[in-house]
Amino acid sequence: MGMEEEEQVIGDFNRWRQRPELAEAVAAIKALTAVIQRSQASTMMGLEIELKNASEMLKAWDRSSISLSAGCDLFMRYVTRTSALEYEDINAGKSRLIERGERFGDISLKARETIALLGQDFVQDGCCILVHGSSRVVLALLKLAANNGKNFTVIVTEGGPKKTGMEVSKKLSAAGIPVTVIVDSAVAYTMDRVDMVLVGADGVVESGGIINVIGTFQVALIAHSMKRPFYVAAESFKFARLYPLDQQDLSISTGQEESSNPARDYTPPHYLTLLFTDLGVLTPSAVSDELIQLYL
Amino acid sequence: MPDLQAAVDDFVIKLKRRQVEGSLATAKSTVLLLRQVVSHQRIPSSGPASSLIDAVKSVGSRLIAANPMELAVGNMVRRVLHIIREEEATIVAAQVGVTPVSDSDDDADVHGVPGLSAVALAAANRTALRAPSLHNLLESLPTSAGANVEPVPESDTKSRCKSSDKNSKSWKLKHGVIDAIGLLLGEIENYHSEISEQALEHIHQKQVILTLGRSRSLLHFFREAKKKRSFQVFVAEGAPRYQGHKFAKELAAMELQTTVITDSAVFALISRVNMVIVGAHAVMANGGIVAPVGMHMVALAARRHAVPFVVLTGLHKLCPLYPHNPSVVLNELKSPSQVLDFGEMSDCLDGTDGSPVHVVNPMFDYVPPELISLFITDSGGHNPSYVYRLVAEIYSPEDH
Repeated sequence: MGMEEEEQVIGDFNRWRQRPELAEAVAAIKALTAVIQRSQASTMMGLEIELKNASEMLKAWDRSSISLSAGCDLFMRYVTRTSALEYEDINAGKSRLIERGERFGDISLKARETIALLGQDFVQDGCCILVHGSSRVVLALLKLAANNGKNFTVIVTEGGPKKTGMEVSKKLSAAGIPVTVIVDSAVAYTMDRVDMVLVGADGVVESGGIINVIGTFQVALIAHSMKRPFYVAAESFKFARLYPLDQQDLSISTGQEESSNPARDYTPPHYLTLLFTDLGVLTPSAVSDELIQLYL
Repeated sequence: MPDLQAAVDDFVIKLKRRQVEGSLATAKSTVLLLRQVVSHQRIPSSGPASSLIDAVKSVGSRLIAANPMELAVGNMVRRVLHIIREEEATIVAAQVGVTPVSDSDDDADVHGVPGLSAVALAAANRTALRAPSLHNLLESLPTSAGANVEPVPESDTKSRCKSSDKNSKSWKLKHGVIDAIGLLLGEIENYHSEISEQALEHIHQKQVILTLGRSRSLLHFFREAKKKRSFQVFVAEGAPRYQGHKFAKELAAMELQTTVITDSAVFALISRVNMVIVGAHAVMANGGIVAPVGMHMVALAARRHAVPFVVLTGLHKLCPLYPHNPSVVLNELKSPSQVLDFGEMSDCLDGTDGSPVHVVNPMFDYVPPELISLFITDSGGHNPSYVYRLVAEIYSPEDH
């Protein structure tokens, strides 16, 4: 594949990423769909090879994004599986893949709705929820719960040093939910009056643990020691084929530079209570089952 | 039909008055009633499964509302619904495999993707039935992801061979469902013997076992183990119902060395115990259990002294809901007369001498999955973290 092809793929990806409601994995899949459309291959194998190259390029473009590589892997796996089915005509196969790829954007939004529907059951009247990090899924969940007439309060961590928590608190106030912002170091102090913790995830790994913005592990440790349930809301296309054993493993696999200012951390499955996904409410042990089902 | 209505009303009244005791009896009666519902239901030739499902759902919701605390009712309703969906999928898959030509045009309407091979169609049906997985995300159409595949109701101007084809399909479905329900009934009735067969693996010579209250499955379990092992049992009495006393009598009749202790003495004696084995009222989807009041305390004591906490349960007690789900009412309050005799404290109970004394008598306790070491079910021994798998196998996600 030439330089211009590479530019086109990455250009497509960045264009899709501009849309705020679209998750990264979805943007990647849309870019790969465009590759299929442009492809001149005459066999499914040839198409697969082109897609594989494009997927490698995308992954190389942003090594640190877990959901990007998870999305690429998912689509590649789907393509290999589909070509195993009987498609006598390559054009029929191509059109089916293109159709699926284009629908994936809808699936992503629908996934968010499903998760919001499942998760809002767990929000009870009068409860206090601690939120860490900025996740569109978590926002959708809380907004739905508020729209269904539940009265609850939210405590948002400031999320330094980028102070992402302020954005989140603005969006929650706009939805009519009472919000308090606390500094990250005050989590243990406030955990007493918190009923549950809710976070999103950048990626969900094979062990059932999650990779999320820095500070999530800390909050999980505190929640666990004070016996508060720790819930994660993540779409299923974030399930990645990674198995970090500690925080250092994480930086090696994602190419994060060894720095004193890491952007992400890994929370082991032991500290998670439940994961809300579009495949249903899962215990951390169920995650590896789902991954095996897909990749075997 | 009037017979059926009367039978349903009768059962609803029994449930409301709490006249049906125990999850085993309730499960059996529910399944028998649902089998009647299925056999009485007249099946239209188009959409046979959905009419069955609607009938079962309407009866089921009445039964569940009559006694929301008895989770076995809801479990059995969901099992039957899952059976119906499975039978439908097997029949459609078989049909597609056998007659791809005659069914292709109406099946094409159904799936809206003409030109797919029959193999792919059957695969789509099978995967539509399984709980949505990562692969199905891309496989199924977003608008009908995982939905039941129903033939579009066509006009009656179909060729005769097609309509008789459909009739045989609904006949097959109905009888398939009734057979499967019969199997389910057999499974429920045999669960005590299935569990007791595993007794010898878990109880060893000269062990000391602790339990709380009374459990029928535990009785069978001990009876089986007694044949080849000698062990002794501590029974915590299980206030305020004191079922432990009754249990101790039954165990003594089996010539087992039994000791009765108060609930408050559990912590004091737990260090002398090798294992705690108990029964449960229901098992939640996260692996936690609903058990007679006092069980959480015993579980904590066991965890504190590293004593294994084993729970005996049948698959009919497995509930696909989570304990934080508000629709699952997790506790029932019984009469305070079990706790306090009316005569003794009647003057302070109604507030004549200052503020009244309240008496609360909850029936159940919730034990979280972290405190449970093992579940012994009719399908073998399982870790609490495996419960989600069992739930996925026997229930459909649409019915939760």
